[in-house]
Amino acid sequence: MSKIESGMESMIDMYIFETNTLLEQLDEILLKTEEAQTFTEEDINEIFRIMHTVKGSSAMMGFDELQYLAHKGEELFFIIREKPDGLEDVSFIYDLVFRMSDLFKAEVELIQGEEEYEATDFSDVIKDLEKGAAMLTDGAHPSPTSEVGTYADVEKEKAVACSGEGVMTVRIFFQEGCKMENLRSFMLLNKIREEADVKSFHPADLEGDPNASDVIIEEGFTVTFKSEHDDNDSVLKLIENAINVESYEVMDSGGSEKSSAAPSADDNVPVPAAPEPAAPVIENVPVPAPVIAKAPAPEPAPAPVTPTANTNQAAQLNSGKQSIISVNLAKLDQLHDIVGEIITTESMVISNPELEGLKLESFLKSARELKKLTDELQDTVMSIRMVPLAGPFQKMNRIVRDMRMKLGKDAELKIEGENTEVDKTIVDSLNDPLMHLVRNCMDHGIENSVEERVEKGKPAKATVTLNAVSSSGEVIITVSDDGKGIDCEKVLRKASSNGLLMKPESEYTEREIQQMILLPGFSTNDVVTEFSGRGVGMDVVRDNIEKCGGTLTVESKQGFGTTFIIKIPLTLAIIQGMEVKVDDTVFAIPISTIRQSFKVRNDEIIQDTQRGEMIMIRGECYPIMRLHEKFAIPSEITDFEDGILLLVETDGKSVCLFADRLIGEQQVVVKPFPQYLSRYNIKGAGLSGCTIMGDGSISLIIDVANLIEAY
Amino acid sequence: MANGSSLFAQNIKTSDKKGGRVEKEEEITKALTFAIGEQVYGVEIPYVLEILGVPKITRVPCAEVPYFIKGIINVRSKVVPVVNMRSCFGKEEIEYNEKTCTIIVALKDITVGLIVDEVLEVLSVMQKNIAKTPDLNNVNENKFIEYILEMQDGIKLILDIKKIIFDHDLMLSLA
Repeated sequence: MSKIESGMESMIDMYIFETNTLLEQLDEILLKTEEAQTFTEEDINEIFRIMHTVKGSSAMMGFDELQYLAHKGEELFFIIREKPDGLEDVSFIYDLVFRMSDLFKAEVELIQGEEEYEATDFSDVIKDLEKGAAMLTDGAHPSPTSEVGTYADVEKEKAVACSGEGVMTVRIFFQEGCKMENLRSFMLLNKIREEADVKSFHPADLEGDPNASDVIIEEGFTVTFKSEHDDNDSVLKLIENAINVESYEVMDSGGSEKSSAAPSADDNVPVPAAPEPAAPVIENVPVPAPVIAKAPAPEPAPAPVTPTANTNQAAQLNSGKQSIISVNLAKLDQLHDIVGEIITTESMVISNPELEGLKLESFLKSARELKKLTDELQDTVMSIRMVPLAGPFQKMNRIVRDMRMKLGKDAELKIEGENTEVDKTIVDSLNDPLMHLVRNCMDHGIENSVEERVEKGKPAKATVTLNAVSSSGEVIITVSDDGKGIDCEKVLRKASSNGLLMKPESEYTEREIQQMILLPGFSTNDVVTEFSGRGVGMDVVRDNIEKCGGTLTVESKQGFGTTFIIKIPLTLAIIQGMEVKVDDTVFAIPISTIRQSFKVRNDEIIQDTQRGEMIMIRGECYPIMRLHEKFAIPSEITDFEDGILLLVETDGKSVCLFADRLIGEQQVVVKPFPQYLSRYNIKGAGLSGCTIMGDGSISLIIDVANLIEAY
Repeated sequence: MANGSSLFAQNIKTSDKKGGRVEKEEEITKALTFAIGEQVYGVEIPYVLEILGVPKITRVPCAEVPYFIKGIINVRSKVVPVVNMRSCFGKEEIEYNEKTCTIIVALKDITVGLIVDEVLEVLSVMQKNIAKTPDLNNVNENKFIEYILEMQDGIKLILDIKKIIFDHDLMLSLA
């Protein structure tokens, strides 16, 4: 199992997904406990479980280095769990475990990558982990060196601990040719553990021994267990129903005939002189709390509260497993595309020109029905793709923690509105920008010294706030700090020395100057730090956000803090649009921006020498933009009396658009411009995308905000 | 979409039969050839998705989009940009006629339509037919050539799709 076998690809997907989820959980727990400065027993158990699962699945996939690394981590927490009171200085553990989790993530990414995977050498961090373990034990018990040894010890211990009462030994045979018998056994074993206390099993080393599968095929998989509620039948039922199990036989339901199997398998492993009595048993049990005391004596001695709590937890976990499935995003995208096409085709059928003038009562009735269903379908598909922002937000905790350590600034992260949901693709593309912005707040925004803050009457502990709210088709995410704010003079000086100024300095407004920090090649930090200051950050952030259809602005008050505002569309997919025609070109204007459409007489037009043509509506004067001029379309309709005007408004700015004629209102599926054209600033020209109309031709979607901006 | 019916069947004579079995061993790949003016070009078949007539092209009214990108078309609900190969090679554009075709090519995620004068045939690319690229850098379109095929009926220039898809600057430099 040293290489990735071709048949295991789908399993690797699963492995990557699971491991990443677990590592994120690990980070979360660590951050939580670090804040509280103590490990609760529950936390330690949870971390232990994560480490163990990662270790187990890595071993199964044949990633020996990862397995060893996880094993070392497991060992560390094993020691911690043994002496929960003896932890005075635990801060180094966090650094160590964070480092390990980072390495793990990087390695998993490598595995995920397309290039041939080569294992990385973790000896540095492993050495540190060992050192950490040694420090914890005060050198009294040097950390065990042979990981095979510890595992085997467990089996030994178990075999010894195996008592006769209510114990059952079962031999299980898998279906012929179902492959990866060792893995199946391992999974079955885990299931049995949820129900019963597993005493021993053979072959003992399912994870590491390459011959385990063969042994299972030949001799069957033997497991000796004792049910928690003396209800061995339920366990048998579980085995019976397990996937790919061909047959099983109960070998012994009282004695311990088979218990000798485990030791015999481990004969070649030296038995340490004095293994800690209770410890090794724990190592093998996923939900360890109730077992600690159970191992030596089968009767559940500890407080009865603990087991119930744990069974509840297990039940919750189980129900969670059943109601959620993970789907490949590509499949969702495909589904999404198909639904988009169905909607287009639907309007192609219903508004088919051949139907014009016909009386089709039942057809129209069915068409309405169909429309209702497709709308529902669309909403459902849309909601499948919506995920809460909690994921990327939670990740920022880690960034703030790391920065706090490195920069020595005391700051906390406040998260608000993390349940706001946005499209999955948007969430993914938000990770990097958010990270940059939070780093920027920590590095540049927050004052370098606490004194500086106290002097200004601010609390010594700085706050970085992440907030998300959704409002009318948009999600507004703000990243703000209560730091020193943007120093406009400094920005202006910097911009001028970098040659970024376009007009005389005195003509810039405060707001314009603040937006300058988003320009390419701008960085006010004189020293390049590890986190920021290369001057590539902010414009990359802006580009990334604009790529998913969003905007980034900055607001700041000197001395009070800085706020970055990200506005992104809730979904990129479908808008209600008004289609207008200019010569042969059809434009779709988002209905939400249109205030009114109207005909005018030429004598209502005001000619302004500076600002061109204007029109007065209800006492307000609006500039007129001729779409055919703006987009250089040769149109025969140039007289205002022949065409139509549309008053559009966004962000409080308005303009009147002049088009040839209105076609009608339609739901349009927004498609981005092809990637081939992405290097050209089409967005800047006032077009946000395109859509395929009922007749198969393409219309262009007008981006009102950019159009006004460009005006 | 309706007028973009496939011309594949009518216009292309495959040259497979001529090849015979003995030579088949040498076949590296197949190429679709097309004409621009008098010159015959080709693209390797793996890049070709389909061949259409000239569907309705929607111009992208943006000053930055270069002249050789004619606009976008709808290829079965996918929005695909189209490039006029004539203007791409610095030649004068001619009006589209019944022989004008759009070859849809794709590289990774990027799909592009190439407007050509006429689609000719699918031929087998044999190692023995590949000529060494002569140093003809003064010829504009040569910069897009991956290799040259010397066939009995003349020279065919096989295009480098990567350059056509990614190297807009090279295209612009030919203006």
